[in-house]
Amino acid sequence: MKLGQAFKMAVKSILAKKGRSFLTMLGIIIGIASVMTIVATVDGYNRKMMEAFEAQGTNKITVSLSLNSGESGFKKIYDYCMGIEEAIGVTPSAEMEGTIKYGAKTSDTMEWKDRPRVVLGSDQYSLCSSFTVARGRDLCSLDIEKYRQVCVLGARAAKTMFDYADPLYQNLMINGVPFQVVGVYAEKDANSGYSMDSVVVLPYTATRFLPNADNGNSGECVVKVRDSQSINKVLTSLQAYIDSLTQNGERGWGYAWSEQQWQEESNSMLTMISVVLGGIAGISLLVGGIGIMNIMLVTVTERTREIGIRRAIGAERSSIVTQFLVESAMICGVGGIIGIVIGYGGTNLAGKVLFEGMSLYPSPTITLEAFAFSVSLGILFGMYPAIKASGLQPVVALRSE
Amino acid sequence: MLITLKDVYKIYGEGLESEVRALDGVSLDIDYGEFVAIAGQSGSGKSTMMNVLGCLDIPTYGDYFLAGKDVSELSDKQLSHIRNKQIGFIFQGYNLIASLNAVENVELPLIYQGVSPFDRRDMAMEALERVGLAGRAKHLPSEMSGGQQQRVAIARAIAAHPPIIMADEPTGALDSKTGQEVLGFLQQLNREGSTILLITHDNGIAATAKRIVRLSDGRIIEDHAQEVDWT
Repeated sequence: MKLGQAFKMAVKSILAKKGRSFLTMLGIIIGIASVMTIVATVDGYNRKMMEAFEAQGTNKITVSLSLNSGESGFKKIYDYCMGIEEAIGVTPSAEMEGTIKYGAKTSDTMEWKDRPRVVLGSDQYSLCSSFTVARGRDLCSLDIEKYRQVCVLGARAAKTMFDYADPLYQNLMINGVPFQVVGVYAEKDANSGYSMDSVVVLPYTATRFLPNADNGNSGECVVKVRDSQSINKVLTSLQAYIDSLTQNGERGWGYAWSEQQWQEESNSMLTMISVVLGGIAGISLLVGGIGIMNIMLVTVTERTREIGIRRAIGAERSSIVTQFLVESAMICGVGGIIGIVIGYGGTNLAGKVLFEGMSLYPSPTITLEAFAFSVSLGILFGMYPAIKASGLQPVVALRSE
Repeated sequence: MLITLKDVYKIYGEGLESEVRALDGVSLDIDYGEFVAIAGQSGSGKSTMMNVLGCLDIPTYGDYFLAGKDVSELSDKQLSHIRNKQIGFIFQGYNLIASLNAVENVELPLIYQGVSPFDRRDMAMEALERVGLAGRAKHLPSEMSGGQQQRVAIARAIAAHPPIIMADEPTGALDSKTGQEVLGFLQQLNREGSTILLITHDNGIAATAKRIVRLSDGRIIEDHAQEVDWT
């Protein structure tokens, strides 16, 4: 018997019992739909995180170094990085408590998520944090050397402080000290609540005018590394340098870490979540598969006489096996397709609800895999009923009512 | 010889108190082109005989040679092929598949022979035409009378032009007029060269066969040839 013929028979037999076939498929439909939605949601979360990482600037190492001697930690790190070829930029990154005022507007009365944040940086701040200048100019080395009272605003900070006014060359009062706005960075992280774009960057040396400000002694800084391959190398050497300076905590305190490490950790957590969720979906598929087996066994019993007739007029055992295997594979395959369609809907919904309208769809690979998986499920769980059917003795099968 | 049975036994529950000897040492030769009626009361073992002869069942003891081949040495697959190509079955109670229409039922043996769908439909329609049911090709068995269903079953048996036809009580459920029609078909097929085995409990029907083999309690009690008038 040809396979095409087995397909025709399967279609006929499934259509003859539509209600039952659909109920049988339900397990597979739910299983496949949830697997697809889970996989795509985890994928979307991953993408979201990657976007956030990239907005923060990739290939960064964050360093904190504070020495008991009172020397500037930043200076030490800066000098040390000069000798490392892969380190292409260093900037302090300490944030400062401060009240920012422009005209009648003051940051004190703003909600925390709108409030601009004062960051003390160097001329390499934009390089290290992946900012590009949209208007005006960036901080330059002279600003640092000459203690100029200037600042560059993130796009959101410019918006909250100035609205429709042009911020360029206006003076912002920071803790009562005037700083002139010389530039505005391009927006880079529109969706996030705690935005990178809320920064107000001052030359770290200008803090000499600000009482209680950190002038780099806390040694919080960011080192920009050439590429992701170099991160671990630079990280190791920085850590060793910090350890040598602090004598393991005796003469100070410091650490170096990269977001790559954090990323790896969060990735392993994501993997765990998807394994757990995938396991649950897998169990539902297993239950669906057992349902298929159950129904196929009932079908075989119901059709014992038909099997007897087919065997009597010359069907080989393998033909009977094929007939029932194709039938159960088709039930699962159709269930898989319906599940995939629902999975697309669910994924899209998850993108809208969970990820602020991110357009999220399962990848073609997952779609194909889901289909192939459901068909193999049908073959796997159809095997026992099919073999049972083919093992019936023709005479016995014919005699059954 | 086409069929040779040598000392064949079919015993159910051997050794038990309830042991049943459906065939109890049967020896029989049937040649090509014969028209044999296997007659006997119900329980005489004639259906078991047909199952054994039709390769649907294997004897407990004894040898069965079909066209010189020892059936006990054939694999399940080879037996399937014999049932498929060499033997046309007309079962008691038609045994049509209820979910398939007339022409699809007739096509069944051809499907398992691997005949292409196009030729298959032609051959099946030809067989239906022979039994006068071409106009009912698309009807389900449940939409046909008993006589029509029996004719579909005959069409299925002859569609692949097998050399042997085995019919188990083919007229059992029919009125005498349709019964005569069915017998007429079998006689016609025999004239065209097919070997016919007709199993019946009805002496009147057995009397129309060229040879009568009578069974009782699993043994042959009578075996004689006779002149027939099939006009």
